Amino acid sequence: MKTIATTLLMSALASTTLFGAGAAVNALKVSNDINTISYASALWNKATFSPVFLYPQTTIRMNDKKANEMNAHNHAKKAMVAAVYNDHNIAFMIRWPDATINVQKGESTTTYADGFAVQFASRVDDPNKLPYIGMGSQGRPVVVHLQKVAKDIYEPDGHGEVAYQVNRNQTDLFGKALQAFDKKVQSLGSSDYERSFISEGFRSMTEIKDGSNNSYARIRYLKKDHAWEGTLTRALKDEYVNLNAPAIPVAFAVWDGEKMGRDGLKHLSAWVSVKLQGKQGGEALISALDGTLVGDPKAGKRAVAANGCAGCHQMTAEDAPNILGPSLRNIGGYSTAGYLKESLLNPSAAIVPGYNRNAHSAYPWYTVNNGKRVSAMTDYSWLDQKTQNDIVAYLQTLKAEVK
Amino acid sequence: MSKRQLAMVMDLNKCIGCQTCTVACKTQWTNRNGREYMYWNNVETYPGTGYPKNWMDLGGGFDAAGDLQPGVIPNLESDYGVPWDYNYDALAGGASFEPNVEPTWGPNWDEDEGEGIFPQDNYFFYLPRICNHCTNPGCLSACPRDAIFKREEDGVVLVDLDRCQGYRYCIAGCPYKKIYFNPKISKSEKCILCFPRVEQGLPPACAQQCVGRIRFVGFLDDEESQVYKLVHKYKVALGLRSDYGTQPNVYYVPPTESPVKFDANGKIIEGSDRIPVAELEKLFGPEVHDAIKTLKSEMAKRKETGESELMDLLIAYQHADMFRLDNTYYQQVAKEKGLNPLAPVDTRYIAGKYTKTGHSMNFTHAAEPTAGGHH
Repeated sequence: MKTIATTLLMSALASTTLFGAGAAVNALKVSNDINTISYASALWNKATFSPVFLYPQTTIRMNDKKANEMNAHNHAKKAMVAAVYNDHNIAFMIRWPDATINVQKGESTTTYADGFAVQFASRVDDPNKLPYIGMGSQGRPVVVHLQKVAKDIYEPDGHGEVAYQVNRNQTDLFGKALQAFDKKVQSLGSSDYERSFISEGFRSMTEIKDGSNNSYARIRYLKKDHAWEGTLTRALKDEYVNLNAPAIPVAFAVWDGEKMGRDGLKHLSAWVSVKLQGKQGGEALISALDGTLVGDPKAGKRAVAANGCAGCHQMTAEDAPNILGPSLRNIGGYSTAGYLKESLLNPSAAIVPGYNRNAHSAYPWYTVNNGKRVSAMTDYSWLDQKTQNDIVAYLQTLKAEVK
Repeated sequence: MSKRQLAMVMDLNKCIGCQTCTVACKTQWTNRNGREYMYWNNVETYPGTGYPKNWMDLGGGFDAAGDLQPGVIPNLESDYGVPWDYNYDALAGGASFEPNVEPTWGPNWDEDEGEGIFPQDNYFFYLPRICNHCTNPGCLSACPRDAIFKREEDGVVLVDLDRCQGYRYCIAGCPYKKIYFNPKISKSEKCILCFPRVEQGLPPACAQQCVGRIRFVGFLDDEESQVYKLVHKYKVALGLRSDYGTQPNVYYVPPTESPVKFDANGKIIEGSDRIPVAELEKLFGPEVHDAIKTLKSEMAKRKETGESELMDLLIAYQHADMFRLDNTYYQQVAKEKGLNPLAPVDTRYIAGKYTKTGHSMNFTHAAEPTAGGHH
């Protein structure tokens, strides 16, 4: 299996053109039980691996000085993604390059874990108005499944076993009883860092802890290939998302612990279309996410200059970071054309709250009016259609090189 | 800004560096489960390296425009020091007395070193530090998960461990480096101002146990409180490094009473002061000059007339004279919110929109979302 997967990793774009339906990833219908499928399953040999490009998240600059220095010149990564589904579940496998293994071992204040996340949109009524990538947006929640490579992470309340929260030296135990105490404490740790979240905009992400969102994720490192391989399987339908559709938008993110990756310090894809093979339809979503563009990027670049976008936004890595608005230097990597156009015409539709208003009090990116966020950006709906499309086409070219 | 604000005033003239506060805090909160290296309360020698090492140079806080500044997350081995223990059990078997890890650094490693040349002009003083429970907390501003909150009823800054994901931006954002990463639970933790004690009308453990009686605790809006009088009425208690822009709520009475210096021949230099005012100005801002003036004049007044409210306050004849807390107030707050009076009062994320079970059964349904926060 390993060899086959490696070959597929090498063969880059070939696989997508092979199936040709235009979707970025094609999910294979299987009859097997995939409830607890892992990377070891032979089913992946039958599935098709397609490239998904992951771009360094640069929209928001975090306040970690060292991490910012380490991540200042990140390139994009090429991941290979495959999917299988049956009547109840859908499973994804993602392989992405990472030169080092980084495990959070519970001993250090400055180590960070490698990991990956798969994201689903909870509402897909309009493929041009998907939730904001990463954290979702107001009224458009996303569900995120996260798997990190961590060892022995304890719950703060010791899974409710408060008696085992005391210092061993302060117990009245000794000898074998104390050893048993230590063992019990050890057993309260968890070596699997798999979590599910729901999020409806930056800062609102909340862990789903009530078991209403079942998933199963596994991860392993392929030393020979210097790559991680992660699988996630989850229900096609639960109370948060309905993936039982001809085509669905899915997004992927990976973290590199070596570069202090966590939270926003990650590589992420745009919404990519996943076609559930054998189901009819889904063309609108697929063409919205993977269709070709009508605009002229060169004219778009001129329009961007003429309209003073760079006054608030950082456009390329060479520009000075601008704190007045989100950085757009990788926006072409993780945004869909639909999102870019919507943001141009109606900036308040999906706001990247970015800096906490407390953290950036002099120049807020948005104000809050009756509980609704209102962007500080001018709306550009007065531009003619062609210019709008040109600007979107230009913005889609803004992204880091793949390496 | 919270509706009310608890504050602590520490009189540095009275601190003897005995670390009783440190021990009181440690045995209460941080001697277990990944908190071993944390000192929610530490007493460092100033001038000195501090804890964590050189914390004043590690960034965080705000610039003049109100923008959060990037910071550095200290390393356990090199900046905090790995806590060590001894092989007491093995001693009975004849083993030699050894630490379990090679001690390289700790919270009071450079205690009593100070600066200057002995005996002419060497000097140091003790600087006890806890979380400042800032009005504009750097940690809160840095958190991308809205996991840190400031309690409306008393301004105590707390971490919601249910929301915390262990990203550690809060540590970079805090200019005092008084929020710590617990590697065992992969979440950030910090001084909670002993809120379970405070809610029962008891002072925080560090203040309760203070041998030198240097710590005053109360509400800043209570004009009868010691903290109000020291901070607002006499203006002798000042925030530490207020230039970081976080508006700290732990205040210090600057150390004004230091011995005189000697000249090269060992003669007393009359009117001299070992602690350079410039150092105090660096820590407590330009207001330190007025504070020193007030302290000196009140001391003189006391000597001449026998009367000085400020001196009486600072002396703290009775232990209870240092605190003005109010458990009825907390019971009132709990009653208004329909909560168990013992419960920490944060209603934002409990029984949330997407999580059916909250992290405490004492909480009721979430209150109205705050602006720019969770939805």
